[in-house]
Amino acid sequence: MSEIADMGAGAVARRLPRLIWRPPLAGSPAVVPVFLGVPVAIWQAVFFLAPLVFLVVITFWQVKSFRLEPAFVMDNWSRVLSSATFTRALQHTFIVSITTTVLAVLIAFPIAYTIAFRLAARMRNLIVAFLIVPIFSSYILRIYAWQIVLSPEGITNSLLSWLGVGTLPLLGGAFSLQVGLLTLTLPVAVLILVFALSGIDPVLIEAAENLGCRRARVVAHVIIPAVRPAIVLAATTTFLLSFGDYVSPLFMTGSKPPTLSILIVDTVKSGSQWPRASVIGVSMLIILTLVFAASRLVSARRFFIRRKG
Amino acid sequence: MSPTLATRISRAIQFTFLGAFLLFIAAPMLVIVVFSFDANRFPTIPWGGFSLEWHRAILNDEMVRSAFVNSVLVGLGTAVLSTALGFAAAYMDFRYRFFGKRLFVLVVAIPPAVPVTILGVAMLAFLSRLGLFGRLETIAACHSAIAVSFSMALIRLRLGEFGAEMEPAAWNLGAGPFSAILYVVLPFCRPALIASFFLSAAVSFDEFMVAWFVGGVHETLPVRILNLLQGQVNPKINAIGTVVLVISVALVLIAQRFVGIRAGRRAPQS
Repeated sequence: MSEIADMGAGAVARRLPRLIWRPPLAGSPAVVPVFLGVPVAIWQAVFFLAPLVFLVVITFWQVKSFRLEPAFVMDNWSRVLSSATFTRALQHTFIVSITTTVLAVLIAFPIAYTIAFRLAARMRNLIVAFLIVPIFSSYILRIYAWQIVLSPEGITNSLLSWLGVGTLPLLGGAFSLQVGLLTLTLPVAVLILVFALSGIDPVLIEAAENLGCRRARVVAHVIIPAVRPAIVLAATTTFLLSFGDYVSPLFMTGSKPPTLSILIVDTVKSGSQWPRASVIGVSMLIILTLVFAASRLVSARRFFIRRKG
Repeated sequence: MSPTLATRISRAIQFTFLGAFLLFIAAPMLVIVVFSFDANRFPTIPWGGFSLEWHRAILNDEMVRSAFVNSVLVGLGTAVLSTALGFAAAYMDFRYRFFGKRLFVLVVAIPPAVPVTILGVAMLAFLSRLGLFGRLETIAACHSAIAVSFSMALIRLRLGEFGAEMEPAAWNLGAGPFSAILYVVLPFCRPALIASFFLSAAVSFDEFMVAWFVGGVHETLPVRILNLLQGQVNPKINAIGTVVLVISVALVLIAQRFVGIRAGRRAPQS
């Protein structure tokens, strides 16, 4: 929208350059940043920032006879924070997303290592391109596919019973939930690590090898320290994605037990208790901000590298 | 120097693991496509035989058709808006230093990091107050506030390769600042603009939470899928899924075609 406006203004300025203003010297006059920057700022303010601020505001509002009314009460906060449902969901969401984070980093690192160090550039780029696709496409569908694959009469179980193994309760527990969350997070985690690992200066590795390091030591003492910020970033991103996810808990465990995201959606869709849903949402944002700040601290400081000698 | 046995075993394990991972990522997509052609009502093994029944069924499903049209409209709107805003944001970051720049860039870059559940509630609560609830335009506006992050990143990356002296050269030759952008900067950014267009469309085409919350009665395709999934097992889902999958994968691939992303070169320090 802003661009169309700019083009219009650009055309006018071209035709009547001397009438409107003339740039005294070659340089970019102040009208350009105003034309480009203000629409963006307004857009993000209205459709992103203001909604989030409003979310914080309505945590203090009241619902009276199914209508949201401005107020300043702490009632919503105290009710939600003291409810057992919330506490249990918070605990569950935490455990689930920490598990996903640990699994994702443990799985992603060796894979990214193989992609970065063991494949030719062409193959590597092909896999990178392949991994970008699922990040931007069809997440619900892929979870639904896992539902088909894992369900009691689904593909895996009919295969297993055909082999004479019997059926396994694959769907509806911690296992299927992790399968879903790893479907969401692994491509991102692997990509972050592939980019970091491919950026390592090969001279560092050669130097370590020349000094007699075996591969395991090179990984432990050269490669992992070199990509530590990327490992932290991959972990943070994984945590963030799994902490806020709605689809996997819904379809892989039937929202039993509910996560915080499911509580939010249920609260909003089941009635007018938006303030309580907002309290949950704002609490999640606070937690995510803290996690993010902690991760910045961890990747900035050199806690983990012990210098020898 | 031939590799030792230990090295060969280690390599074999690494490649097996990589193969298993790639299968893990590809399997769900393959399952959707393969079983959309299955004659069985419930997707299972053995395969019930090839059938186009479900694909035909969705063509006759009025709700699916209108959801598809909605998704296309929202996707197009998002693609245009997000690319325009993303260019403006990237150019601001590239060309100017100004008060509050960090906040400006942050507010454009961060939306994808906020869980969509929270964004959905927040947008619903705020925009319904403005009377914008339940409109396709609102979905597109919200989607573009999220997708602009990717647009800015793509275009900013391209601008990083833009010679800083090109624009002053155009100004010296008499171009106004707007025509310099129009005739010099924009053409240079074209691959990134196209990539941003398709990627934003893909982001919008895939997003269901915000669309579900602010769309009201207007369902987009992912929202329709979500609603179908919460009901009975419905063999139509695989057919719809195949259509959605093909479109969204194509959008991302086209985007990638214009901005090759390569791992291996060290990222230039900005």
